[in-house]
Amino acid sequence: MPITLSVQSRSGKEVVKGGIPVPEEATVHDLQVKFHQLKPKFYPSRQRFSLPLKAGEKKATSLAHGKKLSDYDLKDGSVLIFKDLGPQIGYSTVFFWEYFGPLVVYALFYFFPSVFYPTFKNIPDKHPVQTMAVAYWSFHYTKRIFETFFVHRFSHGTMPLTNLFKNCGYYWGFAAFVSYFVNHPLHTTPSTQVAYVLFGLAMLCQVANLTTHVIQRNLRPPGGKGYAIPHGFGFDYITCANYTFEIYGWILFAAATWTLPALIFITAGAAQMAIWAKAKHARLRKIFDGKDGRDMYPKRWIMLPPFF
Amino acid sequence: MANTYLLVYNASLAAGWAYVAFLVANTVYNGGWTKEVYEAVSVPLKIAQSAAIAEVFHSVLGVVKAPFFTTFIQVLSRYWALWGIVEVAPEATSSGSLTLLKAGPVTLQLNMITLLFCWSVTEVLRYGFYAAKELGVMPYALLWLRYSTFVILYPLGVASEMTMVYLAMPVIRKERPLSFSMPNSFNFAFDYYYFCWIAIACYVPGLPELYFHMLRQRKKILGAPPKAARKIA
Repeated sequence: MPITLSVQSRSGKEVVKGGIPVPEEATVHDLQVKFHQLKPKFYPSRQRFSLPLKAGEKKATSLAHGKKLSDYDLKDGSVLIFKDLGPQIGYSTVFFWEYFGPLVVYALFYFFPSVFYPTFKNIPDKHPVQTMAVAYWSFHYTKRIFETFFVHRFSHGTMPLTNLFKNCGYYWGFAAFVSYFVNHPLHTTPSTQVAYVLFGLAMLCQVANLTTHVIQRNLRPPGGKGYAIPHGFGFDYITCANYTFEIYGWILFAAATWTLPALIFITAGAAQMAIWAKAKHARLRKIFDGKDGRDMYPKRWIMLPPFF
Repeated sequence: MANTYLLVYNASLAAGWAYVAFLVANTVYNGGWTKEVYEAVSVPLKIAQSAAIAEVFHSVLGVVKAPFFTTFIQVLSRYWALWGIVEVAPEATSSGSLTLLKAGPVTLQLNMITLLFCWSVTEVLRYGFYAAKELGVMPYALLWLRYSTFVILYPLGVASEMTMVYLAMPVIRKERPLSFSMPNSFNFAFDYYYFCWIAIACYVPGLPELYFHMLRQRKKILGAPPKAARKIA
């Protein structure tokens, strides 16, 4: 038995004249495909459907991609609120560009100093610390690109297109900011011996970070979107152990190169990661509340032991 | 307790800015111009403007409901204009001006006086409004002025601030204050001249955003006027 759903905008205007006819047992995805056929501009990932606000409700319930319409008690004549999420872009595309940029931008300052420091007639040979720094930086972003395509599984397929410009601005800008000062002809280089040790430890952080990403990948089966309690390699003590190693690695980088912009870079990054980590910690604690047979989320650091 | 504190804070600042406004008017009345005006207001102006940092703390501590980021940006932009521009080049900013229009005897120009006029009037109304709120009285005239004068004073004030930047920039370019260059043990350099250009660039998206925000606030608080207002009158 087909049912007809009325689709309205938030201001109450009917988006599709006469409503959308769908089979009773249709899924949310079927509805999105049908909507796309009627409104070719709005491909499925650009659409968001939600139930009208009930009395006393502050946040509307959005229809989840994999669910059935009947899960939401939708009947013939039910009203859905449609929101255009704007142009969308795939996660891995955004990730590629935001990591590929720093890889190129950072190296440019190292390899072409005469272009970026034009006022210097005699540019000194590269110091071993600067060479270690460019190697570490390049390794890090190559690893990120590799992880994007071969390790990460994304819980959302797409994000708004504007994020591409925002994220690239952040990563490319900071790469130029850090690289300009680390590779500066007047850079006061710290001890090479100390730098060897610090970069060695930083590389261990990179390997540890990769390990945590592999653990996270295996938490989520292919195509899955659920959540699980992570275990092993730091996760037994820290909710976002992946961020922990990332941050420690960059602190070591900043210490080895003894460059203030690198410290600013990791401070900005850590602040953003702290926000994400706090949200994730809260989400896991909410999902795994120990009631009705659900696991109880264990007591853990959020991101940065012994502080946070 | 917080109420008493907020009342005292806002009333004092309203009074402080009223004193600044009085000094501006009095100096001009006695034949002074931009240079004399700045000399007269300099000290009370710096005290009143610097005290605004308390608003950032109010927001952080939750003493007032104002959002942190907006408050921070507003106070920061004033601190920059006063301490980072006017005080860095007091001579240039208090003696120069930017002439917009000259038609016969009428000269329209932006200078230190237009800046101080916009700042002091806006602040007297703003702090007066907050103080009245703490007292639990709200004369309609004050409410109306608080949400109406910005329509002219805000763009005029920003234009005056930009005039100060325009007047100070040659000095900053030549003297490079607050700057340091490589090599140093932080491996960092800072050039205040370029920083100023970036700050100016930030005004471009910031200005319309804040202005339209204020216009929406005006509509919300003063209601949908002309038609309704005329009916009552």
